Amino acid sequence: MNNVIIIGSGPAGLTAAITCAQKGLEVYVIDEYMKPGGRLLGQLYEQPDGTWWNGINESNKLFQQAVDLGIQFYLETAVFNIEKKDNRWKVYTDKETFQTTNLLLATGAAEAPVPIPGWTLPGVMSVGAAQVMTNVHRVKPGNRGIIIGINVLSSAIAMELKLAGVDIACLALPKNNQITHESAHPKKVLDSLLHVAHMAPSSFVKLGSKLMKNNFMKELGVTFFPRNGVKMWDIPIQLKKAVIEIYGEQEVAGVTIASISSKGEVIEGSEENIAVDFVCIAGGLYPLGELAALTGCPFHYIEELGGYVPLHNEQMETPVEGLFVAGNITGIEGAKVAAAQGRVAGLSIAERTGQHQLEEELKDAIKQVADTRKNAYIQFHPEVESGRRTVQMEWEEYWSKREQII
Amino acid sequence: MAECEMIICRCEEVTYQELLDTAITYNCSARELKLRTRAGMGYCGGRTCRSMVDQVAKQVGSEQSKKSISLKYQAPIRPVNFVDLGGEGK
Ligand SMILES: Cc1cc2nc3c(=O)[nH]c(=O)nc-3n(C[C@H](O)[C@H](O)[C@H](O)COP(=O)(O)OP(=O)(O)OC[C@H]3O[C@@H](n4cnc5c(N)ncnc54)[C@H](O)[C@@H]3O)c2cc1C
Repeated sequence: MNNVIIIGSGPAGLTAAITCAQKGLEVYVIDEYMKPGGRLLGQLYEQPDGTWWNGINESNKLFQQAVDLGIQFYLETAVFNIEKKDNRWKVYTDKETFQTTNLLLATGAAEAPVPIPGWTLPGVMSVGAAQVMTNVHRVKPGNRGIIIGINVLSSAIAMELKLAGVDIACLALPKNNQITHESAHPKKVLDSLLHVAHMAPSSFVKLGSKLMKNNFMKELGVTFFPRNGVKMWDIPIQLKKAVIEIYGEQEVAGVTIASISSKGEVIEGSEENIAVDFVCIAGGLYPLGELAALTGCPFHYIEELGGYVPLHNEQMETPVEGLFVAGNITGIEGAKVAAAQGRVAGLSIAERTGQHQLEEELKDAIKQVADTRKNAYIQFHPEVESGRRTVQMEWEEYWSKREQII
Repeated sequence: MAECEMIICRCEEVTYQELLDTAITYNCSARELKLRTRAGMGYCGGRTCRSMVDQVAKQVGSEQSKKSISLKYQAPIRPVNFVDLGGEGK
């Protein structure tokens, strides 16, 4: 008999598992991937203080600590359904069916696709797939590629690919259509890019943070953004060029790229072909809430958090009794925030199993989440704190409505 | 390849044009768009095209509520063998 099942062994799930085990609970961790660590595994970058963040090492450390605490792992085990019966959770997987009273969903995030004509050709992959191939499996996705979509994630991964000796022709925008929409709009993209400015050396930083203090300047920034792009880690960033087609017979052979206006319209006659053997599409991340959605847990669409998130409070409880959430399922943020949330969830679960005197620890852990967020090196949305407040407000509204009914 | 011929839902082979036309003609919500075109109703359960169907509805279809998920999730959320689902023969 276990006290808690955790679905997802990313930084949130692993940290929660360790916290629960330290409080004496019996913990099972289930993950569909063959290695523990989740999206942490692919991460590799230099931090502002000059040290390197190596996700594989971080994952191994957490995993070892968990194993030493006696936590049971079920890897390569996909959960396809969860259901509550007689106050117990049934967790259905492709291997066996598990039962528990406390269930934590730490399923992380998923990548949104970018539809460009030719995007279904072999050789087109999400930028996260290229990251996993390169950093986790140590297989080059190709010799020369292009990244479509300019955002925090794609610029970080571009640098990682470069470190691995993979040539990146450039980062460019997708052609504007009803789906790519804002991600194809130079001004909107530039706006959000300013938040990675600290990751880029020299010219980009200057161009970014100095010019872009207000809207007028942003307009100018786009207008004067060099036609040939600026370089970040020697990779051209093309804010005024869009990929309009990916071509190839059996697989990717190249892309057609064109100049665009500052509103994202293609300038006719400017098309040129670039030969590449793979293409990464980077449409951004959204919280992977599918399992929570099966329980009837209320959801809210919160732009700053990346999409639909299950309703939850600061203690990481959902309104569904015995159901907890932590990590990117609650909103897109970096690995350190996810881990801090995992600790909160672990303490909340321990409290629910009847352990006392955890209030102080829980309070500290919640504060730790806020502090980690403030000092985060990677931020996926500049207004993430406001998104977090919105969830909190929705939570209070939910309970006040319930009280009115009762 | 023309943009209109571009496939959005691979499982059910639904094109961009078909989604646009349907969303405009019927002023669809994401759910109605899915039901009319079958985009997102194939083998993968909409794991790839979900966000794109949502986006088309948002851009050219009808107003969507922010208080509930536009496209419902249904178990099984991962492809699974009938044997594993039913338990028979195991
Ligand atoms: C492609 C990609 C790249 C990223 N790169 C960075 C980066 O460079 N820096 C950064 O700070 N953040 C990055 N992030 C954000 C990242 O999500 C967080 O850093 C962090 O990993 C989130 O932790 P988590 O524990 O919430 O989820 P994850 O680390 O995503 O772990 C979730 C785990 O749940 C498992 N899972 C999901 N559904 C099921 C199911 N139904 N059954 C069984 N198992 C399941 C998954 O296999 C996965 O291992 C990236 C995210 C993605 C998607």
